[in-house]
Amino acid sequence: MKKYFEKQRNLLDYALASLWRRKGKNISVFLVFSLVIFLLASFLFLSRSLQVAAQTTLRQTPEITVQRMVAGRQESMPLTYAERIRGIFGVRRVSPRVWGYHYNEVTGANITVMALAGDPELGREPLAEGAFWQQGEQGRAVIGQGVVKDLDLGGRRTFSFFRDDLTLKSFAVAGIFAPETNILTYDLVLLDIADGRDLFGLADDLATDLLVEVVNPLEIATVARKISERLPDTRVVTRPQIQGTYQAVFSWRSGVAAICLLSALSAFIILAWDKASGMSPEERREISILKILGWQTPDVLQVRFWEGFALSLLAFAAGAILAYVHVGYFQAALFRPVMMGWSVLRPGFDLVPIVQGGDLLLIFCLSVLPYLAATVVPAWRCAAVATDAAMGG
Amino acid sequence: MIRPSSLFATVLILLLVALFFCGRHAGLRAEEERAIRPVLDALVLRLGLTDLCLATEARYTRHPALSDELAPFMDYPAALEYFPSGLFWAPQ
Repeated sequence: MKKYFEKQRNLLDYALASLWRRKGKNISVFLVFSLVIFLLASFLFLSRSLQVAAQTTLRQTPEITVQRMVAGRQESMPLTYAERIRGIFGVRRVSPRVWGYHYNEVTGANITVMALAGDPELGREPLAEGAFWQQGEQGRAVIGQGVVKDLDLGGRRTFSFFRDDLTLKSFAVAGIFAPETNILTYDLVLLDIADGRDLFGLADDLATDLLVEVVNPLEIATVARKISERLPDTRVVTRPQIQGTYQAVFSWRSGVAAICLLSALSAFIILAWDKASGMSPEERREISILKILGWQTPDVLQVRFWEGFALSLLAFAAGAILAYVHVGYFQAALFRPVMMGWSVLRPGFDLVPIVQGGDLLLIFCLSVLPYLAATVVPAWRCAAVATDAAMGG
Repeated sequence: MIRPSSLFATVLILLLVALFFCGRHAGLRAEEERAIRPVLDALVLRLGLTDLCLATEARYTRHPALSDELAPFMDYPAALEYFPSGLFWAPQ
């Protein structure tokens, strides 16, 4: 056994010396390979961070949200729907909600406006300043950090939004959400439901959607099915569905970005295969000399394996570490412009980087193993050539 | 003179130690994040929030959980999805 390991170590020494002899080429391969792994790993770490952020942050989302659909689009729903849902056994509470978007024509920002019935029953912990309004108070708003910036409030504590008929609706700032809550509240304006209806021009007997609480969380699916049967023109979204949506949206297999990165990796592997199968006369001569000196084809293959393994393992480790630094310290600065797109309000949330063994194994399997296959298999074909033919060439 | 394999092993061990510390750093950051979690839980529960505020450019990226699958193509018949963040987000 000791002899075997000593032989492998000697082969590794030889492989590393061989890599160093062609250092110009191999350093460039290492840099490109590290870059490809860095991009892929950054994408995976970012996707995982967002998945975990969604999973942990959205644990308490509404058990059931009911929306009315007309011609495939969401429409406001009559409050009579709430009465019909209250009649379902197992429903604890139905809360109407008014919400929508306000487009700031000056800055081009989309602001989320949410209006709730009654006191939000929250303390001051989520707020950086001020307090939530009390029951019955109107014309008061609690706003997110992004809204403060977008409206350029500075020291002012009043602002106005245009209604649909271009009349102005003014609000006093009751409170400002703390920056730690940016991942939920950055673009949020929270109002009383009467103010929301006034701003959006919605009749008193209408709501945007209904939030349904059930008595037994195990019965969410059953109650949701009953709502769908009773109100066939509605779309019923349950808590597990919301969480499932985020897990799917941020899956590493999601989006065109993943396809681009996997394509880049495939292109690199194809290039590695092409380079390895088209060995230079110098490399063929080297193999021939080794065989004349008594090396067997498996020995040559093992050298090629150690060369590929050393190069790809170093590239993997370097790429993964750089990817972590990119996501953990620089908040995925390279991907954020794509992820945010044309958003005017860009939340300054702090991503918590997540490194899981499974993700590292996935990156390893997607990068190191194909590279080894792409370099060792063509090397086997070259190593099997007749020695005299190679020497002659 | 040091053997190339020893040098390689040293570099590899250093890189793996760095990778380990990345994981450790991630764990510490997660601990820090846990402190704010009760506040976020209360916000989500009391306000009925359903989505993370990540991309605010389109309603279906601001609220993917409450937008239906056709939302990106609703501008006009046979419309294509054109927001850049759509590159990153998979359809539901």
